[in-house]
Amino acid sequence: MKLRADHIAGAAFVLFGMGIFALSGDLPTGQLSMPGAGFLPKIVAGLTVLFGGLLVLRASESPLLAEVDWSGGMHALLVTSIGAIAIFFYTQLGFIVTMSAMMIALLLIIERQNPIRAAAYSLGIVLLTYASFVYGLKTPLPEFSF
Amino acid sequence: MESTLLSLAHGFAVAFQPDNLWYAFLGCLVGTLVGVLPGIGPLSGISILLPVTFGLNATQAVIMLAGIYYGSQYGGSTTSILMRIPGEASSVMTCIDGNAMARKGRAGAALCIAAVGSWVAGTFGVIMLTIVAPPLAIIALKFGPPEYTALLILGLIFLAYMSSTSLVRTLLMACIGILLGMIGIDNMTGHFRYAFDLPELGDGIGIVPVAVGLFGLGEILSTPSHKVVGEVIAPKFRELLPNRQEWREATWPIARGTVLGFIIGIIPGSAHIISSFLSYALEKKLSKHPEEFGNGAVAGVAGPESANNSASTGAFVPMLALGIPTGPITAVLIGALMVHGVNAGPQLVTEHPDVFWGFVASMYVGNLMLLLLNLPLVGLFVSVLRIPYAYLYPLIIMFCIVGVYEVSHSIVDVWIMLIMGLLGYALRKFSFDPAPLVLGLVIAPLFEQSLRQSLIMSNGNYLIFFSRPISLALIAICVILLTLSAISFVMKKKDWRQTLAEAEAGESQQ
Amino acid sequence: MDRRSFVIGTAATTAALATGQAAAQEAYPSHAVTIVNAFPPGGINDIVTRPLASTMEPILKQPVVVETKAGAAGQVGAQVVASAKPDGYTLLSHNTGISGYEEVDKLFGRPVKTKRSDFVTLARLVADPVLLLVNADLPYKTLKEFIDAAKKPDSTLVFSSGGLYGATHLPLAYLEKATGPLKLRHLPTNGGGPAITAILGNNAQVTTQSVSATLSHIKSGKLRALAAFSAERSKFVPDVPTLKELGFDVEYYLWVGIFAPKATPAPIVTTLRSAIKQAANSDAFKTVLANAGQELAYLDGPEFQKFWDEDGKRSDEAVISIGKQ
Repeated sequence: MKLRADHIAGAAFVLFGMGIFALSGDLPTGQLSMPGAGFLPKIVAGLTVLFGGLLVLRASESPLLAEVDWSGGMHALLVTSIGAIAIFFYTQLGFIVTMSAMMIALLLIIERQNPIRAAAYSLGIVLLTYASFVYGLKTPLPEFSF
Repeated sequence: MESTLLSLAHGFAVAFQPDNLWYAFLGCLVGTLVGVLPGIGPLSGISILLPVTFGLNATQAVIMLAGIYYGSQYGGSTTSILMRIPGEASSVMTCIDGNAMARKGRAGAALCIAAVGSWVAGTFGVIMLTIVAPPLAIIALKFGPPEYTALLILGLIFLAYMSSTSLVRTLLMACIGILLGMIGIDNMTGHFRYAFDLPELGDGIGIVPVAVGLFGLGEILSTPSHKVVGEVIAPKFRELLPNRQEWREATWPIARGTVLGFIIGIIPGSAHIISSFLSYALEKKLSKHPEEFGNGAVAGVAGPESANNSASTGAFVPMLALGIPTGPITAVLIGALMVHGVNAGPQLVTEHPDVFWGFVASMYVGNLMLLLLNLPLVGLFVSVLRIPYAYLYPLIIMFCIVGVYEVSHSIVDVWIMLIMGLLGYALRKFSFDPAPLVLGLVIAPLFEQSLRQSLIMSNGNYLIFFSRPISLALIAICVILLTLSAISFVMKKKDWRQTLAEAEAGESQQ
Repeated sequence: MDRRSFVIGTAATTAALATGQAAAQEAYPSHAVTIVNAFPPGGINDIVTRPLASTMEPILKQPVVVETKAGAAGQVGAQVVASAKPDGYTLLSHNTGISGYEEVDKLFGRPVKTKRSDFVTLARLVADPVLLLVNADLPYKTLKEFIDAAKKPDSTLVFSSGGLYGATHLPLAYLEKATGPLKLRHLPTNGGGPAITAILGNNAQVTTQSVSATLSHIKSGKLRALAAFSAERSKFVPDVPTLKELGFDVEYYLWVGIFAPKATPAPIVTTLRSAIKQAANSDAFKTVLANAGQELAYLDGPEFQKFWDEDGKRSDEAVISIGKQ
């Protein structure tokens, strides 16, 4: 039997549903006439396991795992990492610093654009957004602070 | 009726005073900005600008604040269509087909249809508000937990029509959405559920971080720029307006969305979120070409956008007639009125006719103003798409982050958005559709709470759902819908979803 | 060098005082002050805090920004401020609900996230009396009739609150402590607004809500107030007797106060207290309050602390008596 996409997806859902069960240990289930905090989550987790299992059984309809196109994976990984770094510093370094740094990083590292153009574009957009929020709508954005 | 018209005429006299017109315009302008910028919804927009209105009289203040409210509803579709960022829960459906239209070079048409649909819905809502507000409001009060439960069961049934993927995939996505919706403090017992003791998760996972992550960021993660090189989606200026075919396709969805949205809007509580979802599912069910949904169906923009706007006008009915907030936004407006010495409630019409009728008349004026303001802006907004993709997507990511953060100033929300972006990427690779997940997330907490509230009211007796007329009627609709699908299943009449699922299976086997 | 090690070596309180003096020398405030509002827009905190902030600006000669950090019935905002740098630039606007978090966390065996001792009191602004209200279609005209009905074993009365252990749920526990157990089904909702909607639609029959939130419904005859939880009758509903008059020793208010993190230096606390005092007693602020159906019930920091100590103790007892549901 060859491994197909739905074998993996279905198994992931089965594991997820079981994980929910494991986490619901201390939630009272209650009864049908007075459901407790754990009532609906346990039912839906059960359904997730059921449907996940169904997916595995019907996996022959899905493409082979090897055929799923992962060529954009590097792009996704890089974007996520740069985004995560920016989010990590967002509240400390403030909106202007982190967001312009993030945009410049994306443009230079992933897109390999001209640094001057990238910096001018990023700073322009970030400052315009900052002005619209802070002066136009009097909404505070995170500021540089230590 | 005649006295209504007289009062309305008086209201127009108030609304057309130059300074009132000015404040309506100012409100619409700020509202459009609030709507276009991600994150700040009408809720925070109004409450932040409330102190600005302290210098104005009550009529001016209400006119301006209401302008912000419905102005932001118009603007809300912009980022959904252009960048696939749903600024609020009700724009989720717009972003699916609206953005697909933009990819086909029909961004201008999508924005125009959204604006016109919003105008029709807004104006219809105000007319209904003028004529039937008081009796409707009393019916709205009858809408207690049992009726809510029945309505949400209907919503859950509609879930099956949400997606073009196979039923198992749709239901799996819905289950994940429902489970995500269970996160947070259980309102009925005080238990922390799956929140790992993070107070930020106490109120559950927000819809905006999930939707922005799944749709906005997920899309970008799975679209590396080398795949879109040379793809120009910016339209020429004369192609900005919808063509005749598109108008024809939009007409009935706008009409249906308007009525559906208004009915759902007058129900107190958070039901108005589901109006756009229901409208989308309804249009897909009625459409002759359901396979177009998800690939830029005009009806998929026209219906939900109208429903959304109509619901937000409908929300004024219980607020103005009874002084009860139908949702957080009307609560803010009631607070704003109170600060100006006007008590919303049954006495509003008699005690402050200037405020009430001036407000109603200004909504007619404001809606027209917004249409005139938004149509020229379409050209401006669409030029965003002239930015090359390599430069556009960093901007979109920035908007995703700031938008999600600004909703409740929570960095945890931004992390959730990032995780949901990765999930959206994975789901796409395994050909799952995230739309049912979002609907599950929207419905789950409401459904669970109203079900349990109903059972508290009846002391655990399920007959409560059948002993109240509105909930009985809604349950009957659910039963009919289920029976119809069961019959068509037994008769082996394949409905389009099965055909599609088989086509899907066929394709993948080749 | 010696002096430095001396400062480090002294008790924490002295250290806080010393740094406070250093900070005061560079003229507090030197930039914008943020008041974190732990509740979503539309609530009483939002209505009170925004005008307060705008009247404080000219007094402090710095911008005063209101930042909403709502969530988990106010617990998110409280925790953010409790762990903020105690430099006087991050303040908290909170209400009665702040007292209960510790006991609720203990009740469920969770680590306690915020305690009352995490905060310094700056000022109490309003103390809205809470009323016991019934739907006007119900036959009960007096508190006694209601209590008699609620004590019958076949009572089907539903009590709606804005949330479990919340500021509109605790008053019922206070009342039951004085009257003995009442047979009411508790219907928690998502806040004061929905709780009132539930009783207007007769999906619930009883609730405890503040005067300002329900005044228009009382006037229009849809709700009937049976008793007030305040020490004196409210001037907005002068014919409603207080529970004390009726022989029940119960007192409960929905108050709004401004807090700072606990280690905030004393001179800064003094500056803030006097700025809030001046702003709160200004005509502009009082007008806004009056329009919103509120009255200034100002208490300066130390008096507020004293009030809060007692109020908090009662709230702890109420949470314990409600127990897990």
